[in-house]
Amino acid sequence: MKNTYLQLVQMISGILAGLLLAVHIGVQRLDVILGFLGIYVSNTLSFNSMIERAKQISWVTLYIMLLFFAMLHASNGLYKISVEMNLSRTSLRLSIIFIILVGLIFFILGAYTPITLFMK
Amino acid sequence: MGDNDIKTVIFTVQRFNPEKDKNSYFQSFQVPVKRGTTVLEGLLYIRENIDSSLAFRTSCRMGICGSCAMYINGYPHLACHTQVEEFHSGKLVIKPLPNHKIIKDLVPSLSEFFEKHKEVHPYIIRHDSVEIEERQGEFLQKPEELSAFLQFSYCIKCGICVAACPTAASDIKFLGPQALSQVYRYCADNRDEGLEERLSIVEKDHGIWNCHFASACSEACPKGVDPAFAIQLLRRRLLMYSMHLGIQTQRTKFADKPDTVKGKIEVPQYTAK
Repeated sequence: MKNTYLQLVQMISGILAGLLLAVHIGVQRLDVILGFLGIYVSNTLSFNSMIERAKQISWVTLYIMLLFFAMLHASNGLYKISVEMNLSRTSLRLSIIFIILVGLIFFILGAYTPITLFMK
Repeated sequence: MGDNDIKTVIFTVQRFNPEKDKNSYFQSFQVPVKRGTTVLEGLLYIRENIDSSLAFRTSCRMGICGSCAMYINGYPHLACHTQVEEFHSGKLVIKPLPNHKIIKDLVPSLSEFFEKHKEVHPYIIRHDSVEIEERQGEFLQKPEELSAFLQFSYCIKCGICVAACPTAASDIKFLGPQALSQVYRYCADNRDEGLEERLSIVEKDHGIWNCHFASACSEACPKGVDPAFAIQLLRRRLLMYSMHLGIQTQRTKFADKPDTVKGKIEVPQYTAK
């Protein structure tokens, strides 16, 4: 059932990444709409506001989770594309290793900034 | 066009003879057509009156056997089921079905198509041998249990759905809408006990999760089978099965032997044997 579980991961990670992205975009760009809903945020794009958010564990967790689900979704999608390309067994293995490595590198690089900001 | 009006339509047919040609080419024929003339009748006219070397498959001429599937004016059709008038054009371009190898002219090779069909075990699987050993009996099935899979059993294996499928065009190993819809046809049949066996086959790479749900198969199917719907239903079944939430299908019971039920009219001994 490998492919079914991967499909489940793809669906769940896609939904969660979409929800977390909606929170991120909502706070960053939709302050007028949020104000209409009774949630008042201001100057969300300013440097100080970003640093302030980076000091809060809830925002750091949200950003790392968003990054994790986005990378999981993208890596899984790339794996599915490489399977569909009918690559040879060796090429497929190499592409899987490449996808995992690239996914890990992007995740580490992406997670580095919020973690170091939070630790400061 | 009146019933007896005859007009001339140009049939541009893709030709390819593997013994002579390196590449395929197009050849045009002038075909007289009247109201109700089908594309197949036009092709038969060409073969009988103009060029007897033109190769194409045909059998029943009434949309049941699925032999005459071909690519007419950029879309897969059954030639016997498609009237020339439907295209409102004086020119028809006829090619063999795409996503299949070509044997000659309009004859596609369906070997791989049937290999994939066979791969999914398209027959009732039972873990008991009661049906084989006690042939007098039969399985009980309610009308609603029949309707769960009836639509999908109308498949005539013409290959049109595979020809229309964009995934089959890019991934030659893809099982294809025909095979996948037949998996659902048997999994939804309450006489069948081969669910686990078939799900493990369709779950592999190039199986059910590679379908991109373009639904071109359902749009093209000449028998209204709706393979895309069958694939979605099968996906749900597969997900439930993988999460151990299994959709419990009430398995059918074996009917009483006919000798316990007296018919109104006695069957003479010699016919019974």
